[in-house]
Amino acid sequence: MTYRPIFRHPIAAAVLLVPTLAVLTAFLYFPAIQSVVLSTYRSNLLLGTRAFVGLENFRAIFFGPQAPAFWQASIQTILFALLVTGPGVAVSMVLATLAARPITGGRFYRIMLIWPFALSPAIAGTIFLFMFNPEVGVVNQVLSALFGIKPRWLDDPALAFVVAVSAAIWKNLGYNIVFYLAALQNVPPSLSEAAEIDGAGGIARFFRITVPMLSPTTFFLVFTNLAYSFFNVFGLIDILTAGGPVGGGIANRTGVTTTLIVKVFRDGFGGSSNMGLAAAQGVVLMTIAVLVTVGQFRLGGRSVHYEGA
Amino acid sequence: MYKPRTLVTAVLILAALAPLAVSASGQAETTTDGPTEIQFWHAFSDAPRSGWIEDRAAEWNAANPDFRVVVERKGSYRETLQAAVLAARQGDAPHLVQLFEVGSQLAVDSGIFKPVGEVGGIPADDYIEPVLNYYTIDDQIYSIPFNSSSPILYYNRDKMAQAGLDPDSPPETFSEVIAMLEQARDAGVDGARIGFNLHSWFFEQWMAEQNAPLVNNSNGRAARATEVNLTSDAAYTIVNWIDELNRRGLYTYTGRLEDWSGSDAIFQQGEAMFHITSTADLGNISSAVEGSFELGTGLLPIPDGVERNGVVIGGASVWLLDGHPTRELEAARDFVLFMTNTENMVSWHKLTGYYPVRNSSVDALEAEGWFDEDPNAYTAFDQLLNTVPNPASAGALMGSFLDTRTIIEEAIQKVLQGTDVQAAMEEAKVLADDRLREYNANL
Repeated sequence: MTYRPIFRHPIAAAVLLVPTLAVLTAFLYFPAIQSVVLSTYRSNLLLGTRAFVGLENFRAIFFGPQAPAFWQASIQTILFALLVTGPGVAVSMVLATLAARPITGGRFYRIMLIWPFALSPAIAGTIFLFMFNPEVGVVNQVLSALFGIKPRWLDDPALAFVVAVSAAIWKNLGYNIVFYLAALQNVPPSLSEAAEIDGAGGIARFFRITVPMLSPTTFFLVFTNLAYSFFNVFGLIDILTAGGPVGGGIANRTGVTTTLIVKVFRDGFGGSSNMGLAAAQGVVLMTIAVLVTVGQFRLGGRSVHYEGA
Repeated sequence: MYKPRTLVTAVLILAALAPLAVSASGQAETTTDGPTEIQFWHAFSDAPRSGWIEDRAAEWNAANPDFRVVVERKGSYRETLQAAVLAARQGDAPHLVQLFEVGSQLAVDSGIFKPVGEVGGIPADDYIEPVLNYYTIDDQIYSIPFNSSSPILYYNRDKMAQAGLDPDSPPETFSEVIAMLEQARDAGVDGARIGFNLHSWFFEQWMAEQNAPLVNNSNGRAARATEVNLTSDAAYTIVNWIDELNRRGLYTYTGRLEDWSGSDAIFQQGEAMFHITSTADLGNISSAVEGSFELGTGLLPIPDGVERNGVVIGGASVWLLDGHPTRELEAARDFVLFMTNTENMVSWHKLTGYYPVRNSSVDALEAEGWFDEDPNAYTAFDQLLNTVPNPASAGALMGSFLDTRTIIEEAIQKVLQGTDVQAAMEEAKVLADDRLREYNANL
């Protein structure tokens, strides 16, 4: 196949790229570079101070008295991202496959599965906060009626972490399902029919046909879900657990749901507004995100099956 | 030829550049005709309190046709301070901002405020001394006291009686709290516990009651504070008591930090015999428990064997922002003095339970027999008026006060989860000192 350019003149392509580049520069590249610059300054938001301190902020987060809390938050961030992304994408794929089947009311199911994505993080957080309130929440009302138990969902460290992960997964389900539903339209039914004639059961067809055929979408969704769980969960966590509760044992240096994005906000805009320290942690968060993404492209990229490639 | 794409491109580029354009032209313009506007930002989210402020503004505006006070709510105290700082940097500052007491050092250091002492001052003789002491920094009265409160003991008189205790003698010391709760538990009283929310404010109050400054350099008032006294004997006395309460099963809270309403609910539902919270909640709690049990109030219980040194006032005051014409600042000051005058502070106190910050208001309330009608309201005054004026009761000044609060609360939460008191407090001191050092390095 010979390469046929869509645009005859490269200038036309460049012109069309300008809007995207302008938006990316204004809202992504420029702030990212500013964060890196800010991380080398001692800067306080409320005092308006700014003095160059080199790597002092990084020394503080890696080796200073605040280091244990920072390490704990970093590990929690990675754990949180993996738990939100893995089960989140898997559940979405199963639900999308079920909802894509030609069944009565299929359209209704599909809409109901997608709508959580339309909620703002604050509303999603509030919904979970009410549901998991230990005294008056619907979850504990059901549990106490059935089993006579009332778990302390929001102040038991392990349970609070699970609730925060579940809320983050639920919030993003709709996004994942939309993409899977679209991808499922492109899976030729002939493949499934052929397998069925050969005697493959529903589960075998799911793992042997649906999962591989959806792998490009899965690859994309793993990436977007990782980005979501690193950067976009502040509102949800802030409302739901406010970053708490402080854990026990080795996890007692900060709240167990304090992921790095929560800590960055707390240090920069809360407390005494240490913007330099917050920026340094933001740079580390960006680095973690880049490393995880590179790892994903290295490892996951190979197992993606592109139709016709 | 007309190309829609070009238009879309142009719009997108403009959209991307818009923030730059706005910040370039963001200078506020002053209106030349009509009354001069005086902007007042406050932090009350509830209708009764914000409505009360708006009513006072309307009254003052009617009497002062040259000016118009515009009242605006800007979120929490913290958000109000941030908004004020950012507005001031952009040359668009309000004239008046209501700020919480722990933000005082931050506010002074931010350099955007003008001490009220430089704008005609306030009638200092008429302000309750401990209140005035808090807002006097470097011998200068910085802000105008407005809503002030302190913590008191709330107790369930029915449970006291049921336990065979005298409902007229609430506990006054830490050991009496434990003894009475154990007696109540042995008598089979439900909720034989004390429930105050996990808040650093109470820790700060118990430090003051022991005449122990929270930070060095006379609580940051003789010179800038450099150390937080979290491993002093006074500090250990407080946390050891909370630890002992918890170990004996006599303490309860919701599990969340700073959960004021959660702990109020525990007390109101009869799940705790004793409760500690702000005087400003007296109105709300009294009406919530009406019909379910009889409410009593007492002085804040203090550590055994110490002379009661008094409480640190909490709450907020009103600050004047620099960078406005003197004429406008004087008008702004006049408005706040009107809002906090004798009669207005009487009505503010009756509405909310906050202290009327003026001596003349206290006299007026006494003269009309208000305290005979409501002895619970008097508890708070008793405690405040008997406060010994010294650095410990004037309250701590430190730029990293908000960080320190979180650190203290997390340390106590760890103790409740079984961490050794000394280990938790030593770690807290290292963290709090580090944040304070980092803050001071800005200056």
